Amino acid sequence: MNPKLAALFEEPEKAYLKADELNTLSQFVSSLPERINFYQRLRNEEVTLMQTVANSLQQQFPQVPEEKLKRSLQSGILMVRYAAMAMLIDDANLVTNRLATWLPEIAEAYQTKSIDAALYQLIKTQFAGRFSPAQMALLSPGLNAAERLVASDQAPAEPEEEITSESLVGLF
Amino acid sequence: MISVADLLIDNRLPSNYFVSDVYVRGTLEFGLLENRRGDRLLALPDALMKSIVAGLNQETGQATKYVLRNCGLWWGKNFYARFCEELSEYYQQGVAELPMIEFVKALQECWRTHGWGVLTINTDYQTKGFLMIEIENSPFTQHVIQRGQPSGALESGILQAFFSQLTGRDLTCVQISCESLGADCNRFVLGLENRLQAAEALAEEGQPHTAIMQMLIQ
Repeated sequence: MNPKLAALFEEPEKAYLKADELNTLSQFVSSLPERINFYQRLRNEEVTLMQTVANSLQQQFPQVPEEKLKRSLQSGILMVRYAAMAMLIDDANLVTNRLATWLPEIAEAYQTKSIDAALYQLIKTQFAGRFSPAQMALLSPGLNAAERLVASDQAPAEPEEEITSESLVGLF
Repeated sequence: MISVADLLIDNRLPSNYFVSDVYVRGTLEFGLLENRRGDRLLALPDALMKSIVAGLNQETGQATKYVLRNCGLWWGKNFYARFCEELSEYYQQGVAELPMIEFVKALQECWRTHGWGVLTINTDYQTKGFLMIEIENSPFTQHVIQRGQPSGALESGILQAFFSQLTGRDLTCVQISCESLGADCNRFVLGLENRLQAAEALAEEGQPHTAIMQMLIQ
């Protein structure tokens, strides 16, 4: 849940919630039907939407091995699911909290960063054509958070990219 | 053409299994802290770690580090089995088929979520037959076992047991830098016993880790 909302429930012993605090809660609750409705559409149309994205990605990178494109697509599908969940609970931090220590290094290790960058553009374009600007405004914070994680150079060039089962067992 | 439907095995995609807000939970009304599959976890207070080292030092003197190392070896053996079990359950495939990148990443996240510090695998010496594990913010090396000596006996044991089972080789692990002696991180070097014989004495002499590695790879 959005940390501002979650904070409302933390200390019942302190005092009753004030008018502006209850207002924050009301705003979230009144936005819920829209969020749930959009979430359901994202769920129902996942395969269709992502298949169109996959086709465009393959056209854009005909020379890249299919395995690599699949890897990037899997990560993209996963990110859209995280972004959708973040949209549902109004908390883009969900993406960063769950994936900040994991996603950048995985993307680095599989060397899909440039493909991922193109993939996020395709996802955004594809989704913007299908959903309303208001819906996109709800989904974008999560998507952008995921995109930043993949694009971040903070992850050091991790040595894991050199590690494979064979190299590790053959090491000694 | 790539089929998106085929990418979704049982409609799911594995991600960060050990992420703390999902991994650590509990049945706290019964006083149980648990992981996401219901195995019991314990919060280990720093004062207890300190007491264990102090108690062992008092009762066994110089044997403390051997006792702790032995505990680490037992722990590592069990930890490896449990770790693999959890991962294969989550990924719905055997650990042997899991890409090594994901396996290593999961190990790092597991370490982090348990509060054991930040673990990195350094493969700079891979071609020379050594693997180096670097751990920052370790809770296990905070308390000095013997003045002026590395204090990661427990971790040496766990890493030795873990990587021996992973690689199917009988490895040895020697700590060559220690946070308790002012180093930026704890460094543990793993390799075959006959190639690591000199390392322990060099570390005890207080040689810097770079010099130790130079000697080892000559």
